[in-house]
Amino acid sequence: MSIASSAAASAAPIRMAVECRSIRKAFPGVLALDDVSLSIRQGEIHALLGQNGAGKSTLVKVLTGVYQPEEGRIFIDGKEVRLRDVREAEANGIAIVHQDQPLIAQFDVTSNALLGNELVRIGGLLDRKAMRSRVQEALDRVQADFSPDTLVRDLSVAQRAQVSIAAALLRNPTALILDEPTASLSDKEAERLFGIIRALRSQGVTIIYISHYLDEVLNLVDRISVLRDGKLVATVSVSEVARSDLVRMIVGRDVSQLYPKEKVAIGAPLLEVRGLTLGSTLHGIDLTVRRGEILGIAGLVGAGRSELALTLVGALTRDSGTVTIDGKPSNPADPRIAKEHGFALIPEDRRHEGLIADLAVRENLTLPNISRWARFGLLNWRAEAAAARELVTRLDIQPPSIKPQIRNLSGGNQQKVVVGRWLTGESRVFLFDEPTTGVDVGSKIEIYRQMVELARSGAAVIFISSDFEEISAMCDRTMVMQKGRISKVIEDQREATPEALLFWASGSAESEKAERAEAEDANTEKASSRSVAKRALSRWGTVIGMLLVVGAIAALAPQFVAPGNIFDVLKQGSVLAFIALGLTVVLIAGGFDMSAGAASQFAANIAAGTLLSGFGSVAAIALGGAFGFVIGAINAGLVLVLRIPAFVATLGMMFVIMGATLLFNGGQALTLSNMPGFFFLGQGYVGPVPFVFILLVAFTLGLHVVLKKTRLGLRMYAVGQNAAAAALRGVGQSRYAFASFALGGLVLGLAGVVLAAYSYGASAMATGIDFLISALAATFLGSTISRAGELDVIGTVIAAIFLASLSNGLILMGVSNQALPGIQGIVLVLSILLGLSRKRGIGQVLIF
Amino acid sequence: MQSATTVRRASEPFLLDQLRAYGPILGMILILVVFAILKPAFLSVANIGNVLHQSSILIIMSFGLAVVMAMRGVDLSIAQIADAAGLLAAVLLLHGQPLWIVFTLPIAFGLFAGLVNGLLVAYAGVPAIIGTLGMMFVIRSGELLMTNGAEPQILFTLPRGLTRNFFFVGQGSIGPFSALVLLGVVVFIAMMVVTRLTTFARRARAVGGNARAAYLAGINIRAVFAGGFVLAGLLASIAGVALVSRTSIAVPRGAEPYLLDAFAAVYLGTLLSRRGDITIWGTLLGGLFITFLSNGLTLLGLGAPYRFALNGGFILLAMAIGALKRNH
Repeated sequence: MSIASSAAASAAPIRMAVECRSIRKAFPGVLALDDVSLSIRQGEIHALLGQNGAGKSTLVKVLTGVYQPEEGRIFIDGKEVRLRDVREAEANGIAIVHQDQPLIAQFDVTSNALLGNELVRIGGLLDRKAMRSRVQEALDRVQADFSPDTLVRDLSVAQRAQVSIAAALLRNPTALILDEPTASLSDKEAERLFGIIRALRSQGVTIIYISHYLDEVLNLVDRISVLRDGKLVATVSVSEVARSDLVRMIVGRDVSQLYPKEKVAIGAPLLEVRGLTLGSTLHGIDLTVRRGEILGIAGLVGAGRSELALTLVGALTRDSGTVTIDGKPSNPADPRIAKEHGFALIPEDRRHEGLIADLAVRENLTLPNISRWARFGLLNWRAEAAAARELVTRLDIQPPSIKPQIRNLSGGNQQKVVVGRWLTGESRVFLFDEPTTGVDVGSKIEIYRQMVELARSGAAVIFISSDFEEISAMCDRTMVMQKGRISKVIEDQREATPEALLFWASGSAESEKAERAEAEDANTEKASSRSVAKRALSRWGTVIGMLLVVGAIAALAPQFVAPGNIFDVLKQGSVLAFIALGLTVVLIAGGFDMSAGAASQFAANIAAGTLLSGFGSVAAIALGGAFGFVIGAINAGLVLVLRIPAFVATLGMMFVIMGATLLFNGGQALTLSNMPGFFFLGQGYVGPVPFVFILLVAFTLGLHVVLKKTRLGLRMYAVGQNAAAAALRGVGQSRYAFASFALGGLVLGLAGVVLAAYSYGASAMATGIDFLISALAATFLGSTISRAGELDVIGTVIAAIFLASLSNGLILMGVSNQALPGIQGIVLVLSILLGLSRKRGIGQVLIF
Repeated sequence: MQSATTVRRASEPFLLDQLRAYGPILGMILILVVFAILKPAFLSVANIGNVLHQSSILIIMSFGLAVVMAMRGVDLSIAQIADAAGLLAAVLLLHGQPLWIVFTLPIAFGLFAGLVNGLLVAYAGVPAIIGTLGMMFVIRSGELLMTNGAEPQILFTLPRGLTRNFFFVGQGSIGPFSALVLLGVVVFIAMMVVTRLTTFARRARAVGGNARAAYLAGINIRAVFAGGFVLAGLLASIAGVALVSRTSIAVPRGAEPYLLDAFAAVYLGTLLSRRGDITIWGTLLGGLFITFLSNGLTLLGLGAPYRFALNGGFILLAMAIGALKRNH
């Protein structure tokens, strides 16, 4: 290129943004990077290409400080650097935008972009104005068409990518790494992104671009480095290389593996898929697999291959299209029904979707068809063990035993178990999704052999892979998937060479492009108009509901709206609101707190005891707060140091505190009298307004400032909502979870003091859990009021006052106060249901 | 990585390995020995028989919690279900209902409450802590309304003929064994069968181990998860009826302290399994230990505060030891 020639002409060397020399990195059994040297020039777009496992991601992790190389040196801007962790890499000017970079959905763009690098004034107060204008600048650089105040959850995938890039630019990086930025984008969106990237280059930003899509790369970048098997194949200028050369460099000619392909008689069509569509990931997929046939589906990450498999087994719900097995229509609601239809899925992510790591080989093998060895739900232990043993032998699983926990097996043997579990049933259509990733050669051959065996037995096999060599060698027919479509059908397998497959999978299908983009636009528009009403309802539903309830109470019990009664309600609600405030603060970043109510009660006893012992109100307040703080700190220690899940830690703590409370008060109520100064806290009035309510408002505003306007608060929310995203920005969990527990504990302690002042002392009963449910109800109901559906102190207080109004109103209407706990329980569950906008999984809890 | 840890584990000194496996149970025995030294009456046959008798109720209830927790759920409503079931039995008896109704209606109630829990948690997706906490308070309100504000339902003043058969469960004996202990043994055996020899057990272990993988393997994870809550409700209601049969009185909210004990039993039980799993065996021993502990404390004249504090402390200790085991 011109830069190269001019550099050669003048004596001045080209400035290198990043230079790696002889980098070597080994993992047990694999040499991931072998003597890799490469230079990234200042201001260029440099592509890193290579197949899965070629070493691209290892190299990126070395550059970003995640891995330390065993050998080699790294220079940034001409200076040699050591990158011992992510922070250090960042300080040295390496910024990365990960594929599908996690962001904090409930935050606005400004907070997301500057998290970890916030601009603050004295006292840690966020300088929102300055932050906003800096982010606006960065957004302008990436040509964003949305405001920095938008919530990230309201942005499209493409817009989120823009946010991530803007956030990286805010750090003024020497080099910006973009890891597969277009994998989840439509062609049109990707096209827009390329424009942005080119604009960044013209602003002088150096970009390292990682992608599988050759056409993209050829149109976008200046130079290309190709990695294969941990080695650098070549670094070439894009003007000097043809697409076909690149394909050859990427695929190479490895020592050819043995593929146990055999000719098997191919019968009538078994699986027929017509027009299968799933949102924006699958567009009208048509395919047919015959008995005895292995159909290859070649495609890159993000092509929709796994989604196709998941849709076929009903784990994703298709929008349209028909599927028939042996002529019978199949539209399974979940994988269990799909199993009955004859589908068997070997999922892509073995560790998270395939294995039950804690269970034995035997239990993993017989899981899907366990009822085969059972009568009336009772297992025939012996027959089941025999079946498992037979599978272990048949698949040559090592060690040859059904007993070991599957986590102790090698990746290949684990995969054999996942395959083996489908061999005992009536499955006729086998979906192998990337079955050989992270699998040793011996096990690979075993897995291929099983495919052939299945085909021989008359099953239809779909083999999904991005390893084009194995597709080429093992399949009878191959389809190439690209961006949710079948982009090429290769009927004659001899034409399905690895090169041809890569060629088809990595191109951007030129035809249909415009038509597709139009269709997508129409889709988004339709979706957005439909969701406006839904959005409004989910945004304001709680408030409307609350107003309706209060209105109904006022109509049915007119005395409810008498000024005297309203102030009574405010007074009653305030004490509960205080406890709920503390709980809210803990929940923001601490996980869960079962001990909240007990902590407040304990503090109430401490305060009452202090006063009874003749120390003054100030001592009572200080001690109550201090005990709350200490309890919070201990909870934090249990959760953060000993890594006990918050639920259990605080459950244990709740009981310890209840015991301590009873020891302290000796099972007696601590009744206070003649302490007007102290009682004023809970019972006094300023004019007609209860003092405790004024205190509550002041407290809430104070907490609101801390949580919403300071760096500390922002980071607490970040950690609580998405610890992984926060960690990528260098915001570690421990500090902010501790802050959450400790600050929340302090508030709970002070709430206890208010409780003592309100109820003229402390009760003897250990009623911690009663307070807890009210506080939980207020907290979760309050969270449904806020814009982002996040925990929010103001929402909590409004909800607490609403709960008090509800109780008061019901009693005025003649409902027994014994019904109140139950009503609070129902409100709690309902407010959670309201928050569960779409059906989640099952309500499992972290208890270990 | 994995093979490396296995190797290291295998080459560990034998003694240390044994200590890790049996340390917790030795510790528990040690605590009980201290009680025996301080109060020799602790080990008297009468006292041990009494403790076994008492422990049945806790153990039956804990089994249900163990099943739910092994699936990574949690049920905070079991004590309240037991409480309401016992109360219901007492009320039915006081109203002169026939015995079979006195037994079956409370148990049907337990099944129903468990089913509602299961639907909320497994089908609606409400986190188990919240769903069952809500259930706990709904039931509590129901009890208070039913008894006009927590009036105790006294059965021992009823004519003996009316109550004899009902009291048999909690107070009678078959040969030298108390009926309640035998009930505990029967439930224990049944639960061993349920958690080892049934397809439900396999599916439940899969749901607890990796719900996503179980789902993709074609397991009906919602039904299985909900099933755990139904079982917990059933066992809690049996325990609750047995409790009233033993004490001859149903005090609303009287069974609530069992919730803490049940948690302590299950968590302590995890220490007794080599890998820290929740097992029926472990829960049985955990429940026995907790009952012996509270009995010992009572003999020493130490009351509820110590029980609360110690149980809470044991939960934390069990988790801390488990965490160390795993970190290692």
